[in-house]
Amino acid sequence: MAAHRPSIFIYTAKADPDYLKEICAGIEEEGIFYEISEFAELDLDTLAYEAASESILGSGIGIAGKRIALQMRMLPKGRNVCELHAPTFAQCRSLGANSARAVKKMPFKELYGGRELRTAK
Amino acid sequence: MKLIAGVDIGNSTTEVCIGDLQPDGSIRFLSSASRMTTGTKGTEPNVLGIKSALEEAMDKIGRPISEISLARLNEAAPVIGDTAMETITETIITESSMIGHNPSTPAGAGQAVGTLIFLEDLETGLEKVPYLVAASERHSYEEIAETLNRYHKTLDICGVILQADEAVLVENRLDFRVPIVDEVRHISSIPAGKLAAIEVALPGQSVRMLSNPYGIATLLGLDAKETRAVTPIAKSLIGKRSAVVIRTPHGNVREQVLPAGEIHFYGEKKLRVNIDAGAEKIMETLEDAGEISDIGGQENTNVGNMLAGIKKGMAEVSKEPEESIKITDILAVDTLAPVEISGSLAGETCMEKAVGIAAMVKTKQLPMERIADRMKRELGIYTTVAGVEAVMASLGALTTPGTTLPIAILDMGGGSTDAAIIHADGRVKTTHQAGAGELVTLLIQTELGLRSRITAEQIKKYPLAKVESLFHMRLENGAMEFFPESIDPRYFGHVVLLAPEELLKIEEDLPMEKICAVRREAKKKVFVCNALRALREVAPEHDLKQIPNVVLVGGSAEDFEVPEMLTEALADYRIVCGRGNIRSQEGPRNAVATGLVLSYRG
Repeated sequence: MAAHRPSIFIYTAKADPDYLKEICAGIEEEGIFYEISEFAELDLDTLAYEAASESILGSGIGIAGKRIALQMRMLPKGRNVCELHAPTFAQCRSLGANSARAVKKMPFKELYGGRELRTAK
Repeated sequence: MKLIAGVDIGNSTTEVCIGDLQPDGSIRFLSSASRMTTGTKGTEPNVLGIKSALEEAMDKIGRPISEISLARLNEAAPVIGDTAMETITETIITESSMIGHNPSTPAGAGQAVGTLIFLEDLETGLEKVPYLVAASERHSYEEIAETLNRYHKTLDICGVILQADEAVLVENRLDFRVPIVDEVRHISSIPAGKLAAIEVALPGQSVRMLSNPYGIATLLGLDAKETRAVTPIAKSLIGKRSAVVIRTPHGNVREQVLPAGEIHFYGEKKLRVNIDAGAEKIMETLEDAGEISDIGGQENTNVGNMLAGIKKGMAEVSKEPEESIKITDILAVDTLAPVEISGSLAGETCMEKAVGIAAMVKTKQLPMERIADRMKRELGIYTTVAGVEAVMASLGALTTPGTTLPIAILDMGGGSTDAAIIHADGRVKTTHQAGAGELVTLLIQTELGLRSRITAEQIKKYPLAKVESLFHMRLENGAMEFFPESIDPRYFGHVVLLAPEELLKIEEDLPMEKICAVRREAKKKVFVCNALRALREVAPEHDLKQIPNVVLVGGSAEDFEVPEMLTEALADYRIVCGRGNIRSQEGPRNAVATGLVLSYRG
């Protein structure tokens, strides 16, 4: 594998392309790089967990279809920082921004647009 | 066996303790409790809180409250305090003419001057005219970038103003580099066709050209008179990461100095002082005026309205006619308040000069007898009103190990700072001063621009920390603390308060250092200043050095830093000063209730 520049990893399994685009925009606006890889056979929790574990920045996003999870390294698999199911575009943008803010150690943007948010217990 | 209850009704809490009178006349303390005061101090609804406090205390020793043979109530100090804050300068923008704020991610850097034009009107643009393009959030960042790239071939586009938080996204898609300001909420209020200057600061810096009157003059080509007029704009842009200044022919930003008015002291001498002179001068004048009978303000001025408002509020609480309410003491404190500029485009604020005032009003004796009657009727407990609060507090404070007569107590509660001294021969001197916990809360709320008073109250009470990862936080003293389990991500990156058993998140985006500095400064301005003022008042010959020991009691003595601040400040006068520890076990609480029971012995 080639040397990576520090990036947030996005691991996808048949991700909704519009959602993916909004998430990337959220990260880009915060000024951080990202890399997208496809793992069609993995489930959402594994995607997010692996992405966060393998990212140098320790921040990863998993997208399976219309379901999205934000994860940070060291958190156990399945305990995602937050999860969205069929969210709005604005929520995707905020989730992307939050994955970057996790790296920058800045407060998260609110993404309580709908009831989809499930905070890890 | 005879059980005696001491009941102390305070502004915010009601405290009780239960003592058992021994055959030899000494008292053995069995139990104590504290509850929220129900209703205004000194009114009949207090009985509810007294009842639940007594029940709790008696529960602890497994007895019903009917076994109490006597309850002794405090004769509350007949003073109530109130606070008010008034800004004395105000910045007004007529015709929106500037934007200055701190978007989290502006893009590009540097400054530019051009004519304002909306994205959708670019086709009407003329060649060789520099333009600043404003785009509303109806357009996606891709559309904006594509449009700008297309027009850049023919037009001179020198800067961009966006409504959405998309400056970096647009910049990354542009073929050219210009400063971009985003998160401008009221973008539709931007006057198209006007000349404007835009500036985005370099990373880690704040704007330089637009926060300098001559910088604005250079960019917009102003003459000396116009430059004078834009000085308030420059002032309000200091410290911002991005700014836009629009040149409108009639538009203007001005700093209005409100007619702040004079405070009138009616004392041994009649003195008046203008509030502009500042808190220090006001307090000096107050001292010069000697014993005060009333304090008022010049009519139809800010301070006049403020003091009148306090009197009106007091009249309502005490149910006395407004004319009979006399303000006998004030504490004035200088402060700065961030106030939203009227007519701003992005919710900009400007730090305005303000003065906070705590006032104290002497009222008639509070109707404690009525509370006693009601307790007899409703609880079946024989109740008497016994003893002046400050004396009782001193008696209670004497149960602190290591104290001796003469002893001074300092009771700093919510509304007022009370001090008393008891000499070995039984002589007592007491004083009440305006200004205590509530003024501190008000100062914290104003200076930090907090929406909620409750947040300010919590900032006053609890130490700060910043959650730096999902696993640890940095405490305000620099130490690190790790969580056993990863923390709820909603706390991530936020400044939190370490309340017992839980973390409280501060919603406002404020650095921990700033909150900490404001909190400490507010406490110093009020508590330390007032403690010295009150102790000097009761000290023999007003000489602080003649007070050997001071015991801190009441709510503020439980504060996590105020007692240390006072210990330090009073050490200069060789005074032993510290937090009380009533009956070696209660801490600074329960002094009055304890004193009430002890004084039964005679």
